This record gives sequence, C-alpha cells and structure tokens, in this order.
Amino acid sequence: MKNTAVKIATILLMITLLFGCLDGRELSELEIVIGIGIDSADDPDSIKLTAQVVNVSQLGLSGSGGDPDSKPYWNAATTGTTIFEAIRQITHKTGNRLFVPHCEVVIYSKDVAKQGLYKHLDFFLRAIEMRLTSFILIAEGKAGEVLDAKPQTEELPAVNIYNLVKSYGFTSHLYDVTLKEFSSRLISEATAPVAPLIKVVQEGENKDVQVMGLAVFKEDKMIDELNMDETRGLLWVINEVKSGVLIVPTPEESGVAVFEIETAKGKVKPEITDDGKIIMHIDIKLQANLSEQTTAEKLARPEIFEKLQDNMSEVVVQEIMSAYEKSAKTGSDIFGFGDMIHKKYNKKWHEQLEEDWEEIYKTIEFDIKVDSKITKTNLLKNPVTQKLGG
Amino acid sequence: MNVERGKINVTQLFFCVTGFVEGSVLLVNFAVDMTKSQTWMAVLASIAVAIPVIYSYVALATRFPGLNVIQINDIVYGPILGKLISLYYIFFFALTFSFNNRDIGELYKTFIMPDAPMIFFLAAFAVTCAYAVHKGLEPLARVSHIIVAISFTVMLLIFLLLIDIMDFSNFLPLFDVPLISLIHSVHVITAIPFCESIAFLMIFGSLDKTEKAAKYVIWGLISGGFILLNVAVRNTAVLGNTETIWTSPSFESTRLIDIGTVLTRMDLLIGVIQTILIFFKASLLLYALATSVAQILGLKSYLPILLPLTAIEVILSATVYQSPVDHAMTTQNAGIFYSTPLLYFTPAITLLIAVIRKLPKSKRRKRS
Amino acid sequence: MIYVLTIYTLVAIINLPPLIKNGQKRELFAFIAFFIVAFVLSLLYAMDIEIPSPMEGLKYLIEDFMGLKYPEPK
Repeated sequence: MKNTAVKIATILLMITLLFGCLDGRELSELEIVIGIGIDSADDPDSIKLTAQVVNVSQLGLSGSGGDPDSKPYWNAATTGTTIFEAIRQITHKTGNRLFVPHCEVVIYSKDVAKQGLYKHLDFFLRAIEMRLTSFILIAEGKAGEVLDAKPQTEELPAVNIYNLVKSYGFTSHLYDVTLKEFSSRLISEATAPVAPLIKVVQEGENKDVQVMGLAVFKEDKMIDELNMDETRGLLWVINEVKSGVLIVPTPEESGVAVFEIETAKGKVKPEITDDGKIIMHIDIKLQANLSEQTTAEKLARPEIFEKLQDNMSEVVVQEIMSAYEKSAKTGSDIFGFGDMIHKKYNKKWHEQLEEDWEEIYKTIEFDIKVDSKITKTNLLKNPVTQKLGG
Repeated sequence: MNVERGKINVTQLFFCVTGFVEGSVLLVNFAVDMTKSQTWMAVLASIAVAIPVIYSYVALATRFPGLNVIQINDIVYGPILGKLISLYYIFFFALTFSFNNRDIGELYKTFIMPDAPMIFFLAAFAVTCAYAVHKGLEPLARVSHIIVAISFTVMLLIFLLLIDIMDFSNFLPLFDVPLISLIHSVHVITAIPFCESIAFLMIFGSLDKTEKAAKYVIWGLISGGFILLNVAVRNTAVLGNTETIWTSPSFESTRLIDIGTVLTRMDLLIGVIQTILIFFKASLLLYALATSVAQILGLKSYLPILLPLTAIEVILSATVYQSPVDHAMTTQNAGIFYSTPLLYFTPAITLLIAVIRKLPKSKRRKRS
Repeated sequence: MIYVLTIYTLVAIINLPPLIKNGQKRELFAFIAFFIVAFVLSLLYAMDIEIPSPMEGLKYLIEDFMGLKYPEPK
C-alpha cells in the first residue's frame, strides 16, 4: 500500500514538472522580427508600427531560382495608440505573436521624434524579449519606407541597416547608439541624447538607404541635426573615432592632402577656475597616414610633414568647434560635459551649475590640443609628376 | 537531546556560510534603489557591521557546544521565557523561508516562464528543499563545497566578460547620496544576506569541534561578501546611471554580454546560478525551521513534520505579498524592522545573560 | 482542487503508518496537527478564498503604529 502511494506520488510529481511547457513556442509559431519602424499615423494620437518579419522559407532563395518578386521578409504594419497595442494588433494579420529577441534596429520617423520619444521608448526597454543592444535610428520621412528599401548586397533591409550602423568606424560620420546608450543619456539630466539619421536615397530605379549624421534631442524631443563633420567633432571628444578620412589643405595651398585616420584617442578634463569660468581641456592624439594627394607637391619631407600635421590639427579643432557651436545654439550638451563636471566637482555642480546648465553650457571655453602624427605614406614616396628630382 | 544526529566539520561550515551569504546575490538590487552608484560602499559597510553581530552568534554557540539555539534559550531564560523567545526565532525562520521561496518564484515568473502559475514554482522549489532537508544536514554540507566553487567561477567569469563594457567613471561622484539612504542600504544589506545566517545557530550544534568555528564563519562571511561586492561593482560599472530603472540590474548587465555574436543572452546563466544558490540558502533555512519546531515540541526527529511544514510554507509564500513591487517596497521597510531586535540584539543579550549567570554550569565545574 | 486532495492523501498514507507503528505519540500528534493546518490552508487557497498574510499585520504594526520607516529614495 505504501509502495503504491509512493509510486503515485512520484508520477504526480513528474506530471507537475510539465507545467514548464506552458511557455513553449515552436519555431513554426514564431514571427521573427528583425526591425521595427514607428511612424505617425493619420490619427494624431496613434502611431503606425511596421515590423519586419523574416519569411523563413524565402530566405536564401531570392535571386537563385526562387520567384524574383518574392521577398525574404515581410513588413507587417498596423496602427495603434501605443506600441504594445500595435504589436498585439499585428496578430490580427499574422496569427502568431511577434518574436522580438532578434530585433536589431528600431527606427523612429522624424515626426514622431519631434513630438517626443518617451511614450514610444518604454515598451522596448521593458519587454523581456527585446535586446538592449539594438540600435536606434531616426528616419527622414517614413520609417516604413526605410524598412522597405531593398538593399543590393544583403537580403534583409533591417540587417543591412544594422551593418551600416555597426560599421560607423569606417568614416566616423555617425555613431552607433544602442537602446542602452540612448536611455542612459535620457536619464542623465545634463546630457542630450543623440541618434543616427537614416534616409532613403532614390537613384534611378533603386532605393538605397544612407546613414549619416546625428539627430540631437532635448529630453526626448528632437530639436536639431548634426551633419557629418559636426558628428565627427563630437566623436573626437568622446573618444569614439575609429577611422575616417581627413582632407587637409597642403602648405602651398595648391590642393589637398587626404589622410586616413589610423588611431585616435580623445581625453577631456574639465576645469572650473576660481572666478567660475568653465574650461574644457581636450587632448586628442591622432595618427594618420597619407592616402592621397591632389597636388604635385612633394609632401614627403619632414618640414612639410610638420606643416601638414598642423593643418590636420586645425581641421580637427574646426570639427570639434563646429560641433560645439551647433549644439550651443540650442543648449544641448551632447558631449556629456555636464556629467563630467558633476563627477569631478560634485558640490559645485549641485549648488551652482545644475539648474542653469543649458545656459552655462553656451559659455564654456575650450583648450584643445591636438597631437597629430603622420605615420606613413603608403606606397608612393613622391607624387606622379614631371617635376621629379626637384 | 538533539534532533540532529549528523556532524559537520569546520571547513564545511565555511563553505556553508559562504554559500548561504551568496544566496542573496540578487537581493543586492534592493539596495540599489537607495544608494545608486554607491552600493559598493554599502556592501563594504555592511560586511563591517555584520562581523561583530555574527561573532556574537558564534560566541554564543561556542559557549554552549553541541546545543542548538532553542536548547540554549531554555537554559538561559528558563522554560517559559525561553520558549517565547524561541517562538520569535521560529517565526523569523518561517517568514524568511517564505520570502526566499517567493523570491525565486518571482524570478521565474518574471523572467523565464511568464505564463506558468506562480504556485507551481513555489511548490516545486519548496518540495525540492524539503527533499534536501529530509536527507539531513551532512549531505547539504558536503554539497556546499561544489556549489560555492561553481558560483565563484561563474560570477568571476561574468565579471571578466563584462570588463570591456565597464565604465569606471560611473562610480564618481562619490558621496552624492544622502547619509540616511546609505544607512538604509546598510541596514538592508546587513539584514538580508548576512544576518539571516542566524539560522546557523541551529547548525552550530552539529559541529564536531566548536572551538575554531569563529574564524571559519567570519571568513565565510567575508568570501560571501566579496561576491556581493563583485555584483554591486559590476552592475554599477556596466549600467551606469540606468541602474535604478531596471527590475533586476544583474539580469540586464548580463544581457549586455555580446562577444563575437556567439556569447549573447547569458542572463540564463545568472538565473541558473541564482536558483542553485537560493536553493542552498532556503534548504538551510528550512532545516533551521524544522529542527527548531521539532526541538521546541520535544520531538525525537524532525522528519515527520517536515512535509506539513513545507506545505504551510508554500501557502505562506503564495499569499505573503501581492506582487514583486509589494515585495520590494516591504523588504526595504517593514521587512527589515521586524527582525532587527532578533538579529542584532537577542543573541548578544543571550550571551550577556549567560556570562552573568555563569552558564553553562558544566563549564564552571571544569574550571574549578 | 482534486490535486490538493490527492497529494494530501498520499502524504498521509506514506507518513502515518510508520508513526503509528512505532508508537511515537508526540510525533504523531505534531504531524496530525500541522497536517490539518496545511490541509485547510491549501484547500482555502485552491478554492480562491483569500488568506490574510502576516506581512500585512506586520506592516501595519511597524509602519503605522510604530512609525518606523525610512524616507522614500529620490
């Protein structure tokens, strides 16, 4: 009798363990989302959500025997007043819940960004399935269109956009802003959030996407844009320049010398002088190599290198200052200077600076030191010119 | 007359204490609300505050070798008052086990399996702990070695994997947080990981050599505290100022591991480790509960009442809080105050009275 | 509900006979007492009847009555 009881108890225990299967979702039930776009809908309170879902059966087939019209992805779009409502409404069209863990990019259209992103950001941070390392982008025009632009060398538009942002280092004209980075800047009272801009460029029949520049926010509303040079100015200061192209005028002003940045390091030290002035000491160390020159000058000589290095530093300082001046117009602290001062001068920050930081930001003085070094000239020692031996 | 027949040695005690303290590795997040980027300071301060308190527990147990705290209370306070004070201990063990059980239930329900009913997790976990306690103290002590080894390795591994995302300037500015918040944090961290080891007062009675226990227990405390410090430092360095918005900063920071697009979504690893650690801690608490109830009722062994006690605990865990938010809010306030007299003062007072009354009498006989 | 009944019957069947056989009166008494308490509580829970939680009482006692509360974090 006792033995039977024990056996029944064990069986019941094993059945109980099956409760864990309640959450199982089979692969055929998954709608794998790789990109999400948010636009404003006709109704002023609602948003239109476009989710790019991977069509697993078509993946890999397009162009090699498959139907040339069928795409390996599908943009499912719905409208709703909030994001979660719209995402659930998509089940009206798909019949399965969206599977968000592979979502790599979240694209907001400019209208939505200008109205404020708080209400459209909460879901992505709160959802258990979302990744914090997805990128945020702001689209000129409609986000849905950006997600539709079929790339040439990549099958899925969202993956293409992800690669574009990830390889920002090649030009350093944009910055990869993840959800975590964006929220960190949003939480900080002084720093202004930024996000890269993306737009659709129509060239003949093809629609391509281009990611370039940054959008600047005040709290959660977009107020300004930075172009390529200004973006790089920002990246110099926050030590995020990986590589890029610097166009420097030559000493004799007959053309330009083009440098490829090898390494760059930026360090900032804030200082508050006794009479309350704020000076930022920015120290940039830069190594570049000569990749191209458009003149027939012989540049590969030490004294010319000196002058070129000075010109290069000039260009870097100009980029930084242009970034600062653009941001100072709206009082947005994109560099994070406020937080740096908070960390170093805790008391002064709380007593004097915290309240009016926007105004005080416009009065910051700079002391920028750029130490550039030209490391090599690649394969050409002298330019191809008739003035050889001169 | 002791309800436990097994014996453990001091090395096992060391690992037991370390494992027990590590069991609260996710509870450091309760303190993050108050002290934000200075949680590491609160952890260090808590270790310092906890050392004398834990020392008083060990000193009490060393003075009465081979006896557990219920018996000690009877001797020091007399039969009636002793039983009342023991009831306070039992009440504490019961509630603490239900808090820990609920903790793991909420962890699973929020992060891992949101659709399953919570009572399932509570019952399954409690029954597993009951099984472990059914086997006795010795197997638990033997398992503690490997639990501590695994958890140490995993914690250090996660820390190393996150080093390149860490930004150590997030620790500045120092001293940004008001002092009262720091004190609050220290109170929470001292009460939950460290002083819940008052449960060990039931286990000290089973040591084979009680004289050297103090050194091992304090070292166990410090090693457990080292892991808690590791967690606090890691979360602050990785998450920076976003630390306070997450339900569980540990989960979020582990999620950010993204190496070679292969090592991603490692938060499951934290879930597994936390489950193992809380299982160890809860089993020890359940052991303390079962033996103390058995002792106070004068039973010869705690085995028969184990299952009914576990069932009561399951229902208690299911009803004690309305939601995780309730749990967090209460733990930061009432949850630590109700146990403050017990954890900080009762053992010390017991020790004091024992010294004044020159108990236990057998020691006196040996001296003269 | 049926689940609760089955489990408790099983536990009783497994645990009671040895206790009765060995004549351990105290253990038997304690077992039956806790068993009944657990059974009643589980039945109430399974029938969705609300069981008051001790924390509510403690919270009232400590926060409202004794006023021991830390200030809210910023």
